[in-house]
Amino acid sequence: MSCCGKNQRDVIETLEKRKKDYMALESKEKLTWCSGCGNYGIQKAIERALVLEDIKQQDLVMCFDIGCNGNGSDKINTTTFHGLHGRIISAAAGAAIANTKMQVLAEAGDGATFSEGPNHLIHGVRNNYPMTFIFHNNENYGLTTGQASAMTRMGQKMNATPDGVVVKPMNACKFVLSLEPTFVARTFSGDIDHMTEIFRLAMNHKGFAFVEVFQMCPTYNKHTTQTWFEERIIDLSTMKGYDKHNIKHAMEAAEDIEKEIKVGILYEDKKSVPYQELLESRKTKKTELVDEVKHVDITKFINKQK
Amino acid sequence: MSRITLKVAGESGMGLASVGDILARTLKVMGFYVHMDREYPSLIKGGHSNLQIDFGPKKIHSLSKDIDLVIALDRAGLVEYLNTVKRGGVLVHGYERAHMIKDLEETAHKRGVKLVYLPAREIAYSYGGNELMTNVVLLGLLWRVLGFDLDPLEEEVKRRYGKKPKILEIDLKCLDHAYNTDEIKTPKYDIKVPKSKPDTILLDGNRALALGAIHAGVRAYYAYPMSPSSSILTYMSQYADETGVLVKQVEDEISVAQMAVGSMFMGTRALCATSGGGLDLMTETISLAAMTETPFVVINCQRPGPATGLPTWTSQGDLNMAIHSAHGEFPRCVMAVSDPESSFELIQHALNIAEEYQIPVIVLSEKVICETKTMVEPFEQNKIPIKRGLVTAPKELAELTPQDRFKITKDGISKRWVPGSSPAYFHANSDEHKEDGVLTEDGDEALEMINKRLRKGDTLLKNLPEPKVHGPAKADISFVSWGSSKCTLLDAQEALKEEGITMNFLHYDYLWPVKTKKAKEFFKNNKQVHLIEGNAGGQFGEILEAKAKVEFSDKLLKYNGRPFFLEDVISYVHKHVK
Ligand SMILES: Cc1ncc(C[n+]2csc(CCOP(=O)(O)OP(=O)(O)O)c2C)c(N)n1
Ligand code: SF4
Ligand SMILES: [Mg+2]
Repeated sequence: MSCCGKNQRDVIETLEKRKKDYMALESKEKLTWCSGCGNYGIQKAIERALVLEDIKQQDLVMCFDIGCNGNGSDKINTTTFHGLHGRIISAAAGAAIANTKMQVLAEAGDGATFSEGPNHLIHGVRNNYPMTFIFHNNENYGLTTGQASAMTRMGQKMNATPDGVVVKPMNACKFVLSLEPTFVARTFSGDIDHMTEIFRLAMNHKGFAFVEVFQMCPTYNKHTTQTWFEERIIDLSTMKGYDKHNIKHAMEAAEDIEKEIKVGILYEDKKSVPYQELLESRKTKKTELVDEVKHVDITKFINKQK
Repeated sequence: MSRITLKVAGESGMGLASVGDILARTLKVMGFYVHMDREYPSLIKGGHSNLQIDFGPKKIHSLSKDIDLVIALDRAGLVEYLNTVKRGGVLVHGYERAHMIKDLEETAHKRGVKLVYLPAREIAYSYGGNELMTNVVLLGLLWRVLGFDLDPLEEEVKRRYGKKPKILEIDLKCLDHAYNTDEIKTPKYDIKVPKSKPDTILLDGNRALALGAIHAGVRAYYAYPMSPSSSILTYMSQYADETGVLVKQVEDEISVAQMAVGSMFMGTRALCATSGGGLDLMTETISLAAMTETPFVVINCQRPGPATGLPTWTSQGDLNMAIHSAHGEFPRCVMAVSDPESSFELIQHALNIAEEYQIPVIVLSEKVICETKTMVEPFEQNKIPIKRGLVTAPKELAELTPQDRFKITKDGISKRWVPGSSPAYFHANSDEHKEDGVLTEDGDEALEMINKRLRKGDTLLKNLPEPKVHGPAKADISFVSWGSSKCTLLDAQEALKEEGITMNFLHYDYLWPVKTKKAKEFFKNNKQVHLIEGNAGGQFGEILEAKAKVEFSDKLLKYNGRPFFLEDVISYVHKHVK
């Protein structure tokens, strides 16, 4: 499966040309994920997308939640912020609006996003903060050794639920689509090319880009495996008549996470206006919050109190 | 006359605030010093509340308990507040039911309080006014009792309602009627109007905090509404369009704190404020700020807990929480404001300390400071330099390495730079880490980094100013204070001086880490040193006793939601100084 076969040669050529940029991101720290873990592919696809989009190491901040995914936070050579479990969207949002010239990426797992901190997701989407959020959905709590998450399929026997999960799993994209988002996409950790392409589009989005990655966790998720997904995935870009600017199409496409699982750009609002551009106080500002820290004359306000 | 204490009492939502504002501003324009607080329940309408104004020719710092004059806007005001008027005082009202009045008149007579009555509603309606304009009638009546010229009051009413000529006309008729009518005879105070008018501003502590923050270059303010911190959010939002500061009401306090940390990490100045319950939710983020060495400043506007507690009342109960909350061991700074001036200044220092030491700073205020409007000299600008502790020189930025960010240093402070300003990247890591932020679980490496962070606390302690002694070095009775009690002590000092009793006090702005040198001297110089604190535990007292190895003679503690009144201190002193 690939959304971008025709571009494939271009991609490789560009990567070849920008090998130096690519190598600059490569850390000498040893990655600690299990073998076969989907996080390897995700990290690689992110690096590729950054290089292809010509986003330089210095213009980038990557924010990581706590979980297996976050263990990559110090294994990429760029400024990173490894925050607290469940909270990374808000921290990243605060960073992103402080300097909108920087590319801000945030990553978190399904435990973080849909159990510990869904509030942050809801309002991150609603406020359309200028950032890309990569949602690592491995359908369990990897780092704490395989407990069920809100995404774990019914009946799965997990650590702490030995008799099997008794409640239905959540559908991440369906949930996000109910919040009037401006960018929603799905991809799959088994396909680096597809991920790369989706990440590139997300990074170019003005506003909050939500990208769900079905991430393989061979250690704890024996059910929705690489093969399981490969047998079910359908790329939206191959579907005739699919309109990614139509939220109804998106809702419909998001629905099935059992049989025919749609990946690609589910929804994109081309007229998306990021948060800070909606504010009367910031609309016309040419500078960033990080450039503006100096004494502000408050004489006028003082005189009002006379 | 040193001061007159007025109370405007009525149901919440009865137009109490506007009566108070008109009174306060008129008195201020006339040259008086004004000090105004509001007591109200946590409801929007209904429930009795009151607004107290202390005024006089000299600066007033605190509130009195005993009231000279009450203006009761409704029956509740009349019934509830009659007992708070001192002997010889006056209660002005417009309550027309005769049968109730009998009892009240008797009570008033027994207490030596004069009741002054006009059928305020009738008068207001006779001029085409409404219920709210009965307030204006009573205002005119009160003004008559105070014995002042009507002009300044009329001017203020014109200033406020000039844009609504119809209402203004009725208001002026109501005022005039009450002030001039010969239907009744009223007692009259003889108060000298000051000759000079001090150049002052009238504002509450929360506005002073907002102004200090804006002045000090705060560019992002995040908050979730919670009394008594909410008005900071309101004030900041009022200043947003003109200053470009980004003001965001966030979904909860966890997100508030996280966004503030994110913005600070990115290199701007961010601020947030809350009350105790909100600070509870922020504690994990305080710990994160400490670990990642990201500056973080939060204001805790205290109200009594636990839980929802007394949402609209005052407290100093969160000190231990400010010092000890959040997991792990790390340095932090806790400071406490005591009035608008210190609110304006300390918030600027708080931001400097947070950035220079790369630590969390918690600024404590109290409802009585947050919402009491008082008169202070116009704030001096550009007095406190902005210190960010950032690397900004291009050459130095170009030469930075990732290891500089958390370099093990003697004073514990490592270089900090704005992401994107240098080719050097770094990892801000909530896991224990090495100098470039890369995770480590090696015992020796971890210990080195933990100690480096802790050394920032030692450096901070060295550099913090000692507390200040107010009054003579030696006195008949002494106090150690922090927060709002400074204001009460300042007024008490004056009052006691007139009785021939000397009182001094050692006041702490910076509570943690705690300085002890001055305290030790103070205890040595003075024969009886007492603690004054607005909590049950004497929280700061315990810390000081342990750290400075001193012992208080006794403790004046108050924790029923009310601030220290002048009378509280005076009667306590009388008990201890014979
Ligand atoms: C406040 C808090 N609670 C619990 C934890 C422990 N914890 C660490 S990661 C994690 C769950 C991880 O699951 P997920 O977010 O799906 O990430 P994954 O490991 O699967 O990538 C938990 C519960 C924590 N670090 N902080
Ligand atoms: S537990 Fe799963 S998610 Fe975590 S590293 Fe191993 S394979 Fe990856
Ligand atoms: Mg997971």
